[in-house]
Amino acid sequence: MKEENKSASGKDVMGGVIFFAGFILALIVGWVVFPNLLYSQKTQPMDFSHASHQDSSCEDCHAFRPDGTFAGIPTTEKCKECHESAMGNTEDERKLIEDFIQKDLEIPWRNYSWQPDNVFFSHAPHKAKGVECVQCHRDVSKEKTLPVYKENRITGYSRETMKMIVCEKCHAERGVNNECGLCHK
Amino acid sequence: MKLGRRAFLQFAAGAVGGSLLSPIPWQLLDDSAIWSQNWSWRPSPERGEITKTATTCMLCDGGCGIQARLVNKNRAILLEGNPKHPVNQGGICPLGAAGLQFFYASYRVRQPLKQTKRRGDPSGFQFIGWDEAIKDLNSKLAQLKSQGKAQTIACLTGQRRSSMDALWQQFLASYGSPNFFRMPSQEDSLELAASLTVGQKVPFAFALEKASYVLSFGANLIEGWGAPGRMQGAYRLWRQENSGEAPTRVVQVDSHCSLSAAKADQWIGIVPGSRAALALGIAHVMVKENLYDREFVKNSVFGFEDWTDSQGKTRMGFKRLVLSTEYAPEEVTKRTGVEAPRIRELAKEFAGHGNAVVVWGTPQGHMPVNIYHDLTFVALNALKGNLNSDGMVTLVPEVPLEPLPDLQMDAAAKHNLEQQRLDLLQPQRAPLTGNAVYAFLDMVAKGGSYPVNVLMVHEANPAYSLPENKVFQAALEKVGYLVSFSSYMDETAQQADLILPNHMPLERWDDAIGLPGTPYAYYALASPILKPQFGTKHTGDVILALAKGLGETVNTALPWNDYQTFLQKRVKGLAASRKGAVAEREGVEPWKLQQGELVEANYKDGDDLWKKLKSGFCWYDGPVGAMQNLQTSSGKLELGLNGLQARGLVGAADQIYLPHFASLPPAGDEKEYPLLLISCQTMNLSSQYLPNPPFMTKTLWDFVLKGKDLFVELNPLTAQSLGLEEGSSALLKTHQGEVPVRVHLYSGARPGVVYIAEGLGHTTYDQYIQNKGINANSIIEVQMDPVTGLGTNWTTRAQLRRA
Repeated sequence: MKEENKSASGKDVMGGVIFFAGFILALIVGWVVFPNLLYSQKTQPMDFSHASHQDSSCEDCHAFRPDGTFAGIPTTEKCKECHESAMGNTEDERKLIEDFIQKDLEIPWRNYSWQPDNVFFSHAPHKAKGVECVQCHRDVSKEKTLPVYKENRITGYSRETMKMIVCEKCHAERGVNNECGLCHK
Repeated sequence: MKLGRRAFLQFAAGAVGGSLLSPIPWQLLDDSAIWSQNWSWRPSPERGEITKTATTCMLCDGGCGIQARLVNKNRAILLEGNPKHPVNQGGICPLGAAGLQFFYASYRVRQPLKQTKRRGDPSGFQFIGWDEAIKDLNSKLAQLKSQGKAQTIACLTGQRRSSMDALWQQFLASYGSPNFFRMPSQEDSLELAASLTVGQKVPFAFALEKASYVLSFGANLIEGWGAPGRMQGAYRLWRQENSGEAPTRVVQVDSHCSLSAAKADQWIGIVPGSRAALALGIAHVMVKENLYDREFVKNSVFGFEDWTDSQGKTRMGFKRLVLSTEYAPEEVTKRTGVEAPRIRELAKEFAGHGNAVVVWGTPQGHMPVNIYHDLTFVALNALKGNLNSDGMVTLVPEVPLEPLPDLQMDAAAKHNLEQQRLDLLQPQRAPLTGNAVYAFLDMVAKGGSYPVNVLMVHEANPAYSLPENKVFQAALEKVGYLVSFSSYMDETAQQADLILPNHMPLERWDDAIGLPGTPYAYYALASPILKPQFGTKHTGDVILALAKGLGETVNTALPWNDYQTFLQKRVKGLAASRKGAVAEREGVEPWKLQQGELVEANYKDGDDLWKKLKSGFCWYDGPVGAMQNLQTSSGKLELGLNGLQARGLVGAADQIYLPHFASLPPAGDEKEYPLLLISCQTMNLSSQYLPNPPFMTKTLWDFVLKGKDLFVELNPLTAQSLGLEEGSSALLKTHQGEVPVRVHLYSGARPGVVYIAEGLGHTTYDQYIQNKGINANSIIEVQMDPVTGLGTNWTTRAQLRRA
């Protein structure tokens, strides 16, 4: 009887170890392997240093249009205002001038914050309520180079794309309407 | 250590547990939802800067102000009504709202096409360059001109209210051809009625915004009569509650409970084709009971009392005619099915309202009316005093645009122009000269005095949209060379020898001159909202290019470098007149202007006016009274039709010189075809040049179109007598042909009458409209009006039997 009990408890322990091994492995796959598999790493068409543009305010380039909509990433036209001819001697500036400004083409930037089509989002009311840019976007003020763009292989959107929970949390904390139709019109 | 099944399950359970605490399932769930939004066929507008461009809608003659919403100034995503525009005040019709679907349609013709095989074979079309295409046509035209056959070219246009109309006329006249025609319209007979009664060949207009009582004899006020955007606005005013004012009363006389009838305050169901008899019955009561405007009639109407014609013969006056027993209410009842007390009641209501007006039309909405019936409705308005200086009926005012240069024709061109127009060379020529498309096509088909070597079709699809379209087909067999200027591969373009695709309306410069049925003067420019998408060319520019290659006389008649310059010149002329003003502010109400009221010009010069019009504003001016420039021999409004006698209508019966009830009987044996077939215009089916866009087809009820089956409307009693039920399949036969249909029972349909919707049964375009339903125009017939020579259509004899 004793032998059997021992053997049974040994089996239980063993079973627990196997279960735990599966559990840990899944966690590793889920938290470490899966994210690396899910996102492909892409580089931007050219590098850009926000730090080098410290003489401008954010709104100089990331402006609101007269109708209140947010223009997002500036157009080549905006870059041209200063960079029609080279101001420095970097490879990226040469690329900007020769490949885009002179050819009058837009730079196909990959947008880190692009929201899917089913989301209606307007920057204007957030700005009016005093929400700082960095509450949702990364602080780029000291950034000398653009981060790697991690693209979700399934959705095609950036990994940095803000998820609904972040919106809802902030809205809840500030007592703002959290009704579905507010964003999913 | 041996791992058995048990260990595997333990491992799997652990892995499942671990996975649930990892992002895998939750992230995948979320991502797959987002992934499903990115399927390629899911429409997703481009992101970017949104701008709005105002222009004028040119999808019909209605002259509505619209604005296009653009993304990044290169993709149009929405057309909406311009709230600042006085015509439609922000409203838009279904066709306008779906207008962008024509812009991005798959059936656009992208560059000139030349037929290299048998006519009508789609595989025979080959792309050619513009230079080659214009050169080809030019050499053809130059050759005909040099052979003295300039009169053998003809044009059929569907764009009558634009400067293109004037440009075509100038081109043909300077080249030496009188054969210029427009697609049929109710205005064709209206302007002839005006020429007989007031001596001016300009269509009548109705001050509907001011009306307190509207008696509509079959005018589709909601489905698209006149200028549809303007009618939406008028309807809104009628239904607006103003304290102390009774709302406008709308009475619809129609055989069928159409949408206009259903929305009216009263629907008078009537025997088809008898509306003029009812109008004369009402006139009878008004005259008999002294309910008419005696002062106006006495001072300003000729032929109310008995009159003497130019040969000195005493003729019966309108008064004696309507007082005859033929038009006594009890007799009218027999013809119309409307009870005599109701007729008396209508007469009293009409006479009793201050601003009562009679309007009229046909269920098809775009065909001329029997001239005697047009005249009858004019007479009823005259009895009410509506043509008086402050009256409800006026003429559509002319817009003082820069006229085109005088023609300096060479002798050959002059000779050819004097060769009469083909329709006028018929053995039995009608006394009046109008836009007789059917008479022209008939002469082409019969091989009249001379053949048509080149037929140019512009903004029209007669092979589909002309009622009794076999007439066009028969003519086409005799046409030497068919040139289509269509932006789309429509039924007519498909049969062309050469297609020179026009820009579609949102890509081109255009203008709208006057609004159908509207009293105030109106002019608007349509400027392109986007650059042309394909290798198309403005037809105006093609004509100007052709003119350059056709010698001095044609070239001097059309001296502009491009169509835009021509329009600018026209606008300069308008500015030089110093008349009218631009409606730059919201809330301009041009319908409130009185006849002769001065509108102060708010533009500096031609350039300033051009700039303002280019921004989507319209020009307007006050109304012009029908009696203002009377050009009749009697110097009065003529109900005794002197003019008809002068134009050679000879007959013993006095009533041929008076407005009277004169039905044009449909062909066929009543025993073989016991039913009447009436084709109807509906609000959500485009039936003319433009096909129904997918957005509109989506709104069709499944008792109009289900799959590919077209439903005809039938009264339940008629259906019962024919052994048909809701949804039954049946064969509809007229002497024009036989088609399969299904039956929809509708108690608003008159017993014995079959109602068929217009706008279906296309054989070209895209999957959303091709081969769906039946083209009503292929089975209905046209009755020729012997007085005007115009084709009319009120009914066709038909039979319906279970399939």
